[in-house]
Amino acid sequence: MKDYLKVGISGVRGIAGETLTPQIACAFACAFGSYGGRGPVVVGRDTRASGPMFERAVVAGLQSTGCKPLLAGIVPTPTLLYLTKKLQARGGIAITASHNPAPWNALKFVDDSGLFLPPARALEFFDIYHQRDFSIVPEADIPRPATLPDPMAGHRADILAYVDTVAIRAARFRVAVDCCNGVGALYSRPFLESLGCTVFSCYDRVTGEFEREAEPLPENLGTLSGLVRENECAIGFAQDPDGDRLALTDERGNPLGEDLTVALAIRQVLDVHSRGPVAVNLSTSRVARAVAEQRGVPALLTPIGEINVTGAMLAAGAVVGGEGNGGVIIPAIHPCRDSFAGMAVVLELMAHTRRTVSELRSELPRYHLVKEKMTIRSDEGVRSLRAVRRHFRNERLNLQDGVHVDFPDRWVHVRMSNTEPVLRLVAEAPDENGARELIRQVRLAIGAL
Amino acid sequence: MRNLRLASYGIHGAVGNGLDLDTVLDFAAAFGTFMERGRVLVGRDTRHSSGMLHSGVVSALLSTGCDVVDFDVCPNPILQFAVPLMGAAGAVSVSGGHSPMNHNGLQLIGSRGAYIEPVVGETVLDIYHARDFTQAPWNRIGSASLPGRDVVEAYFDALAGQLDVAAIRGAGFSVIIDTVNGAGCRYVEPFARRLGFRAIPVNDVESGHLAHDPEPRPRNARQVAAFMHHVPADIGFVSSSDMGRLSVVSETGETASEEYTFPIIANHILGRAPGGVVTNCCTTRMLDDVAARHGAPVTKTPVGQAYVISALADEDGVIGGEGNGSVALPSFSRAFDAFLMMGLILEAMAVKRVKASGLIGELPRYHIVKRAVVGEPYRIYRALESVHAMQGWRDGGKLSAVDGLRVDWDDGWIHLRASQSAPIVRVISESRDMQSAENRAIEAARMLEHLL
Repeated sequence: MKDYLKVGISGVRGIAGETLTPQIACAFACAFGSYGGRGPVVVGRDTRASGPMFERAVVAGLQSTGCKPLLAGIVPTPTLLYLTKKLQARGGIAITASHNPAPWNALKFVDDSGLFLPPARALEFFDIYHQRDFSIVPEADIPRPATLPDPMAGHRADILAYVDTVAIRAARFRVAVDCCNGVGALYSRPFLESLGCTVFSCYDRVTGEFEREAEPLPENLGTLSGLVRENECAIGFAQDPDGDRLALTDERGNPLGEDLTVALAIRQVLDVHSRGPVAVNLSTSRVARAVAEQRGVPALLTPIGEINVTGAMLAAGAVVGGEGNGGVIIPAIHPCRDSFAGMAVVLELMAHTRRTVSELRSELPRYHLVKEKMTIRSDEGVRSLRAVRRHFRNERLNLQDGVHVDFPDRWVHVRMSNTEPVLRLVAEAPDENGARELIRQVRLAIGAL
Repeated sequence: MRNLRLASYGIHGAVGNGLDLDTVLDFAAAFGTFMERGRVLVGRDTRHSSGMLHSGVVSALLSTGCDVVDFDVCPNPILQFAVPLMGAAGAVSVSGGHSPMNHNGLQLIGSRGAYIEPVVGETVLDIYHARDFTQAPWNRIGSASLPGRDVVEAYFDALAGQLDVAAIRGAGFSVIIDTVNGAGCRYVEPFARRLGFRAIPVNDVESGHLAHDPEPRPRNARQVAAFMHHVPADIGFVSSSDMGRLSVVSETGETASEEYTFPIIANHILGRAPGGVVTNCCTTRMLDDVAARHGAPVTKTPVGQAYVISALADEDGVIGGEGNGSVALPSFSRAFDAFLMMGLILEAMAVKRVKASGLIGELPRYHIVKRAVVGEPYRIYRALESVHAMQGWRDGGKLSAVDGLRVDWDDGWIHLRASQSAPIVRVISESRDMQSAENRAIEAARMLEHLL
C-alpha cells in the first residue's frame, strides 16, 4: 500500500521526499497563518534530516501571511507548546513525526493557548488549506523571523519550580538517559545535571537519523539497560525523538514498560502536589487507574490523541494524567505530554520515598498488557469495529474512540489508528493468558483468526 | 495588477500578487532538479520579501537533493563570482534588481557564474511546467551550509587585481555611494578599504525598505546630487538593489544618465587595449562612437545580461554591457558588476587625472529619452507587429529587429521593445538633438497607446 499523506487531528504527516514536500509544508503554513491571523508563531523541530528543509518552507509560508516566525530551532515538543503560550504567540508549528521512524515527518499545529489544535478548529483550518484561500500580506508587511535564544530556559525553570529540587539534588542520583538521537541529545543532560544527577547517556548525538527504533518500547532499550548496569545507575530514562514520551528502566536495567511511567507520575502528583481528578486515554494501562482509585480519585477515560486527553483534563480540572505510551501530562507545568516533567517527577518520587525503582514497581498492581495491530483498509476497519461491538454487546462498552470493553479486572480496546492504516488491539488482564484471550475474542469477532 | 513573468533567466513578479510562494518553490525545485544534486549557492537582496523567498528557495533546492551554500544577503556579482570559485553547479539569486518595491524575482546562474543561457532556461521551464521534480529520499535531502568569509575576501582580492589600486589610493578620493538600502550596503566599507578611498555611504540600512526606486537613473540620483553640494566628494554612485547596475553623479552634482556608465568605462578600457565590445540593441550611440574612436568592433544582442555575456564568450570580446548602467569584464567574471564599474571609473579618474565631469565630457553628447507605455500584457506583441508593418513613421530610417524594433537615422535612433519584467513597451529614443529625440518618442508612444 502506498504511504499516505495523513491529514488529521495529529497534524499533517507523511514521508519526507515522498508524500510530504516543502511545497505542501509551505501551503499548510500559509493556511495556518491565514487561520490564526497576523502575529508571532513559534516554529520548532526535532532532529530529523528533513527538519531544516521543512522549517524553511514553514517559515516562508508564515511570513507570507504576516506571521512573524519565532525560531526555537531543535526543541522538545512540550517546550514548543509551552513557549507558544508563554510568549502569547498566535500559535505554533512543531515539525516532528514524534515516535514515527526517521523517514517520516509531520507538521503539528498549536493554538494560542499552547495546545494542539482541537479537532473542530483543525477542520476549519484544513478548509482554508483546501480552498487555497490565503491572506497574503503586502510586501512591506512581511515580518522578519526572530531566533529564540535558550528556548528551553522558561520551561525548565517551571519544571524545577514544580518539583522538590532540594530533595532530588540531595539524593545525588546516578541516572542513564537514552535520547534516541532526538531533542534530548541537546537538552536532557543539562536538565538532569541541573537536578544534581550524574548523567550517563546514549544515542545522544544529533545525526538526522535514529540509531535506535524511535518508540521507547522495552525491546528497543537494550543499550540503555547496559548503560544502567555498567554505571550502577538508579534509573534509566528513554525518550522518543521529540521528547514528549518517556519510558523507564529500573536500577537493574529492566524496562518497566512505557505504560507504567504515567502510573508512577500519578502516584507522586496525587501524594505530594495536589489532589484532583486524573485522566488517561482508553488504551492506558489499568495500573494508572488503580493508582488513582486507591487514592480515592476518579480516573476519566478519553479518546486517543494528546489533544483529547488534555482537553478532557482541562475541562475536568485534572491534576495529572496522560497516555499509556509514556506520555505524562501535568497541567500545572503545561497541559501536554512532557518527558522532562516526567523525569523530574519520577526522580522526586524516588527521592521522597527512598525506594528503588524496582521497589516502586513492585508496589504497583500487576497487570499484563498486550498490544497488537492489524493492517486493514479503513472500510474494513469500520465493519470490524461494528462486529466487535456486536460481539461484546452485553458488556460495559465505551464507544468514544473505537470499542472499549471494560470488565471488573480486565479490558480490551479496538480502534482505527489516527496515523496509520491499521487497527490497534490492546488488552490488559491480571495475567498474559487473560489478555491474549481477549485479543483472541476480538479477532474471532472480526473473522481474522 | 497581478504580475508574473517566467523567463529563461528566472522569474519575476509582484510579491504575493503573481509571484507567490508556491510558484517560487516549484520554480526552485525545477532548477534543483536540473542541477542534479549539485551544490547550489543562494543569495538575496534586502527587500522585505527577499528573506521569505530565500527560505522557500533553499527548502525546495534541499528537497531535490542539492546541497546549498547559503550566502544570505549578497550582491549578484559576488554570488556569480563565487560559483566558479567554489566549483558549484550553479546559484540562485533572490533579487528584484532594478524593479520597483513590491517586486522580486529569482535569477538562475550556471556553473560558470553567468545567468543561465536561454536554451538552458527553457529546459528548467519545461521541468517546471511538467512539475516533474526530483524528490530526494529522506536521507539524501541536501544540507545547507554557510560560506566562509574567505569567499568575499577572494572576490575583493581578485577585483583589486584588476585595478591600479596604487593609483586609486594615491588619488585620495572621497566617494558618495548610494546602495539604495540594497544588497550592496554591507560591502561598501570593505570595498572602500580594499581600494583605498573614503566612502560616504548613503541609504546603507538593510531595513527591507528601498530608499527610492532602485533603478539607477538621474531621477533616482537626486539625493546623491544634493549631498554633493554639501559634502565635497570626487564622484557619486547610485546602484540597483542587487549591485548589477550603476549610474554616476559628477563632482558638480550632475546626475549623468545611466547610459554614460558603459561608454565611460569602455573609453577607459579600450584606450588601454582595444578589443571586441558587446552590447544590446538599444544602448546609446555614444558607445558605438567610443568603439569607433578606438577601432573596436561592436556586436549587438537582444536585451538582457544572459545574451550579452553569452555573446562576449562567442565573440571573444573584452568588455560587455548595456545602456541601463551595466558592465562586465570577461577577464574578471561573467556578471554585470557595480563594484567593478566603480573601481574602473575611479581608476580612470586616477590614471587620467581627470574629474568625474571630465570623464563625462570626453563622450559625444546625445540626448536620450526613455518612456514606458503601459498595456494589456497579451496585446503588446501584436501592437509591436502592427508598428512593424507601418511605413510612414520610419521616414527613411533603417529597420532592424534583433529584439523588438529599432530604427536608425543619421542623427539618432528609436527602439521599441516589450519589457520582460513588466507589462509595458519600453521606448528609447536618442538623438544629437533633444527635440527630435523627444518628438520621435512622443510619436511612437502615441502610436502604441492607440494600438494598446
